[in-house]
Amino acid sequence: MRSADLLGFAVGAARGNRLRTALLMLAMAIGVAAVVTLTALGDGARRYVVREFSAIGSNLLIVLPGRTATGGINPGSFVSGTPRDLTVDDAQALLRAPAVQRVAPLTVGTSELSVGGRLREGMVIGATAEFIDVRQLRMAQGRFLPAQDWNRGKQVMVIGAKLRNELFPNEAALGQFVRVGDRRFRVIGVLAPTGSGLGMNTDELAIVPVPLALAMFNTNSLFRILVEARNRDAIEPARRQVSEIIKARHDGEEDVTVITQDAMLATFDRLLGTLTLGVAGIAAISLAVAGILVMNVMLVSVAQRRSEIGLLKALGASNGTIRMAFLAEAALLSAAGALAGYALGLAGAALIRALYPQFPAYPPDWAVLAGLGTALGTGLLFGVLPARNAARLDPVAALARR
Amino acid sequence: MIAADALRFAWRSVSSQRMRSLLTLGGIAVGIAAVILLTSIGEGIHRFVLGEFSQFGTHVIGISPGRIAARGGPPSGLPTSVRPLTLDDAQALQRVPGVVGVVPTVWGNAEAAARGRVRRTVVYGVSSGALPVFNMQVAVGQFLPGEGAEEARNFVVLGAKLKNELFGADNALGERVRLGGQSFRVVGVLSPKGQFLGMDLDDTAFVPAARAMEMFNRDGLTEIHLTHAPQASVQAVAAAAEAVLKARHGRADFTIVTQQEMLSTLSNILDVLTMAVAALGSISLLVGAVGIVTIMSIAVAERRAEIGLLLALGARRRTVLRLFLGEAVVLAVLGSLLGVAIGFGLAQLIRLALPALPVSTPLLYVMLAVASSALIGLLAGVLPARRAAHLDPVDALRAE
Repeated sequence: MRSADLLGFAVGAARGNRLRTALLMLAMAIGVAAVVTLTALGDGARRYVVREFSAIGSNLLIVLPGRTATGGINPGSFVSGTPRDLTVDDAQALLRAPAVQRVAPLTVGTSELSVGGRLREGMVIGATAEFIDVRQLRMAQGRFLPAQDWNRGKQVMVIGAKLRNELFPNEAALGQFVRVGDRRFRVIGVLAPTGSGLGMNTDELAIVPVPLALAMFNTNSLFRILVEARNRDAIEPARRQVSEIIKARHDGEEDVTVITQDAMLATFDRLLGTLTLGVAGIAAISLAVAGILVMNVMLVSVAQRRSEIGLLKALGASNGTIRMAFLAEAALLSAAGALAGYALGLAGAALIRALYPQFPAYPPDWAVLAGLGTALGTGLLFGVLPARNAARLDPVAALARR
Repeated sequence: MIAADALRFAWRSVSSQRMRSLLTLGGIAVGIAAVILLTSIGEGIHRFVLGEFSQFGTHVIGISPGRIAARGGPPSGLPTSVRPLTLDDAQALQRVPGVVGVVPTVWGNAEAAARGRVRRTVVYGVSSGALPVFNMQVAVGQFLPGEGAEEARNFVVLGAKLKNELFGADNALGERVRLGGQSFRVVGVLSPKGQFLGMDLDDTAFVPAARAMEMFNRDGLTEIHLTHAPQASVQAVAAAAEAVLKARHGRADFTIVTQQEMLSTLSNILDVLTMAVAALGSISLLVGAVGIVTIMSIAVAERRAEIGLLLALGARRRTVLRLFLGEAVVLAVLGSLLGVAIGFGLAQLIRLALPALPVSTPLLYVMLAVASSALIGLLAGVLPARRAAHLDPVDALRAE
């Protein structure tokens, strides 16, 4: 039998029983659509996080005080409670490292901001003029903190877009005074809204010069030092140099942790990738169920078409031809179902994107290929037994039933 | 037709087409097994996490500085210009009725050195009452003595791992350890406690809170832990503690979290997780349902003659409808029972392979799975069964 004939035979069989064909396709389609939509969701989450991380800056290293020999996360990793402070001078010393482009010392705390009668608790960041370049933020109004000696600062403040709306709903923010704790700061700039930043939403931040923030929180220790390496290749040397400089400054004791942005990114990437894979796996179970259904329906079909098979064989069709004919039917049904499911899954992903525009829910290629492949594979696999049954029929017995 | 007859009829038609029924059952069974297995794992994780928390003492209330805003609030431990919680605050809480112990807590990260060995470790500043709060036991020596907070001497109690790293198998009692530049005398070693969500609880050193505040140059505590009498009402103690601190601070610039609140929040999150996983598993169930529809409609088409005979003999259409619905339900329920058995078996296998994860099959989900599969059978049966019931007996008999 030619392959065109084979296909025609399969199509004819499929069209002969429309309801059954439709149900079979529906079953396959549900499975494939589930795989496609869920992986789109998982991969969307991964892309979202990766994008957020990349938005922090590029070629970044993060220096945080404290280190444990055990490794992993410890309560001590989150707080700046170490006997020897990570100071502004430490940050300044990092500028000597040849692989380092920019350094931004950072201190973070919570405080109460008030303007007139409006009071709000929020995060206050102590930073320097370099912060805006390292974090790659943009200004909406005014200017950022002026470049000056890191150990002195004017009482000025830059606020995030959302904070601006909350503190100054109907008036111009620039030039106004905001009270933070027991100090007054003049607003000199408003950040452009970004709506991102992983845990530290820049839209809600108040940024003041680092020495003032340290004084306000009554501490000498920085929360983080953001270090920007000269380029991608300089990240690893920069990490070594930073560790060495701090170690030398801290009496030879290595009491800071240096994380590269890439390492952090890779961790999240791996974590969310695994999650997506797991979800895809769970959804793929439904493909196995669909495969069982294919087998069931094909078995019924073989039983019902005994005489037809008998006739074919009596006319000289070989066992192989019969087998191929039924396998082609199984493959055709699975493939059609899988394609319908793919379209359905794409629609589901598009729906997610429409509902959450910032969430890039596109199904990854591997998942689409795996989904379609698994659907076709299970269809063929579960089609083997019915096809063999059909091929083994004795033509005389099969025709005699009529 | 009486119910027993209907059931027998359904059973006979299921068992007469063994292969076909078995495959349909298999489809449902795979779906149910997936749901059961996944929820078992989810429940196991739930228990595991809650079990980890039981490493802390019961009847504990935590108070941290700063008001947590409605949308989450500051991560604990960040410096804040909010008024800190002090040792005096902790002392004042001692007077609250129902409170058994008050443990001012401050923690940080420091280098511990002894006998030329150096190790970075977590240092907790606490008071003598910390043992029940952290649910710890002293292996050798004693815990920090109960002395006035300000004049506490430089004593340290080492976690089991830290002691091993610094002193090996030797006796550590009476030895000196340098922590963050200050010298401390070891008065006790704790029994090993193991891990808590990835943190090593044995790689720790406990010193008096006032000394830790000096070491970390802080004027406030990270947290105050209260232990209350088991018979005292948690809410009453928390409210009384809040009143005391409010009176001292002038306003509520601190946050009180009872252990129940913390656990129930966590428990809710984990329940949602289990439910989400169950929902993912049910996709297979949906496909299984499509399988039942397919097979039932094939069965109706094949058995037109039989249906026609039944109708011709005076069977009411409602009876025919019920017969085919019954068949679909029997298929689905048998499949679900098979699935429960498979899922439960796999869960037990995981339990054997991973003894640390207390995999357990939640009865609620088992019942839910069986009930939902019966419902699925019913729904999936409606279309084919209606078709069977609406056959014209004359046409149907002629098909023979």
